[in-house]
Amino acid sequence: MNDTWTERLSEYIDGTLPDAERAALEAHLAGCTACRTTLDELRRVVARARALDDRPPAADLWPAIAEQIGVSSGAHHVVSLAERRTRRVTFTVPQLAAAAAVLLLLGSGGAYLALRRPPVEGGGAIAQRGPAADLTTSPVGWVQKTSSRYDAAVAELQSALEQGRASGRLDSATVRVLTQSLVTIDSAIVQARRALAADPGSAYLNQHLADTMRRKLELLRRASALAPART
Amino acid sequence: MLLNIAAVITLAVTQQTDTTVPVRPGMRLDVDNFGGEVVVKAWNQNSVRVQATHSSRDRIDVEVGASTVSVKAESRRGIAQMVEYQISAPAWMNLNLHGVSTDIEVDGAQGAVTAETVNGEVKCRGGSGQVSLKSVQGAVRLQNAKGHVDVYSVSEGLTLENVSGDISAETVSGDISLEGIESASVEVSTVSGDVTYEGSIKDGAHYRFATHNGDVTVGIPERTNVTVSVATFNGDFDSSFPVSVTNTTKHRFSFTLGSGSGRLELETFNGDIRLRRPGQLHDKHHDDQEDH
Repeated sequence: MNDTWTERLSEYIDGTLPDAERAALEAHLAGCTACRTTLDELRRVVARARALDDRPPAADLWPAIAEQIGVSSGAHHVVSLAERRTRRVTFTVPQLAAAAAVLLLLGSGGAYLALRRPPVEGGGAIAQRGPAADLTTSPVGWVQKTSSRYDAAVAELQSALEQGRASGRLDSATVRVLTQSLVTIDSAIVQARRALAADPGSAYLNQHLADTMRRKLELLRRASALAPART
Repeated sequence: MLLNIAAVITLAVTQQTDTTVPVRPGMRLDVDNFGGEVVVKAWNQNSVRVQATHSSRDRIDVEVGASTVSVKAESRRGIAQMVEYQISAPAWMNLNLHGVSTDIEVDGAQGAVTAETVNGEVKCRGGSGQVSLKSVQGAVRLQNAKGHVDVYSVSEGLTLENVSGDISAETVSGDISLEGIESASVEVSTVSGDVTYEGSIKDGAHYRFATHNGDVTVGIPERTNVTVSVATFNGDFDSSFPVSVTNTTKHRFSFTLGSGSGRLELETFNGDIRLRRPGQLHDKHHDDQEDH
């Protein structure tokens, strides 16, 4: 892979490359399968990031979770819709992979909060804000450094789930099913982590791990929201 | 003898409620139930008929508001535990059905449908606009619907048949089967289960089928224009027709069919990915031969 051009793919996607460089990159892409593949993957990541639903999170627990995973849920600076729409997303390749993992992990609720954080002075990229701020070296680094926050969020939700069970708001059969489902997801996470440790550069494994972790949070959120159903 | 006594006691405490209220176009039906069943069938009258079987301790409230008809049970001892609802509603009526230990069934709806339960199956025939079906412990089945479709379960499978529109289907443990689909946007994922898709692959459209433990099988019609991305960590890829792989990385490769204008993403961590022509989708013999 040509490192020079790989670093310029983000600008190419954003349409900010000067005409001459754009033409040169397109010529390079025509003959470089690896760069075309990387470009396709980056486009998918950007498309997913842009397609994230902007609705507020449904569960009341989410502000606490957001706090746990390092996304402020306090008095947000509300960015206007127009401002958010025109915000340019500029990444290096590792940043983009990390940002994809963050966005996939946070899901719609987290993205909603993250997009409302005040911009960091001098920082234009999402990857330079929030939990990924110092994690531009590799997606694996992001996963490792985010683990404690993620674990805390999971613990918070599992505690809420246990309270729902203890108070009788969730019956034991439902808790059993939810627990079994969490075991299933945890098993998938362990497998994905092992695979990623062996192949840290894999975009697929990074996305897959982040997606599976997001699913665990999402399941816990849904389960916690179920607790009031019987009241 | 004991059975006879139990039957007599049951008859003694069971009560039937049968109420019909007029409705106007645009109104929505809200039903909230704890345990039992909610069955809603469409009819061609501008009225809602609620037939309920419940304990004599419970009372069925049918409230008609400006824009909604609300149905719920109340008990002198708190939540009414078990109510079996048979409801007839106009086909045009939007439905908003919620249960806890409740099976939900809808037949013939032509409006929006929201059906959510914790422990129970959800079956829906019909629906248009927003169609959202969710269960924690129960299978979800949707047939003959169109619109924006969102289907979710935690511990059971999902089945969609003859559905058109944007589709999102997600479960943790269970297979996901889609047949007769007409859609330009399909997002399907399970953690532990197989995914099967048979339907349109349209130009410029996007389809994503993903599982962690399971196989992904997709029917690709002839003359399809799509760029296919295949990712598997521990599994095989098999196609019943020739493909020419162009871009390859360690766990992912892609290829183009026709002009490649659509996008199809196929992912499984532990499992095989199979492409078939639509008629071969359920050809177990072919798959068995591949496996050996």
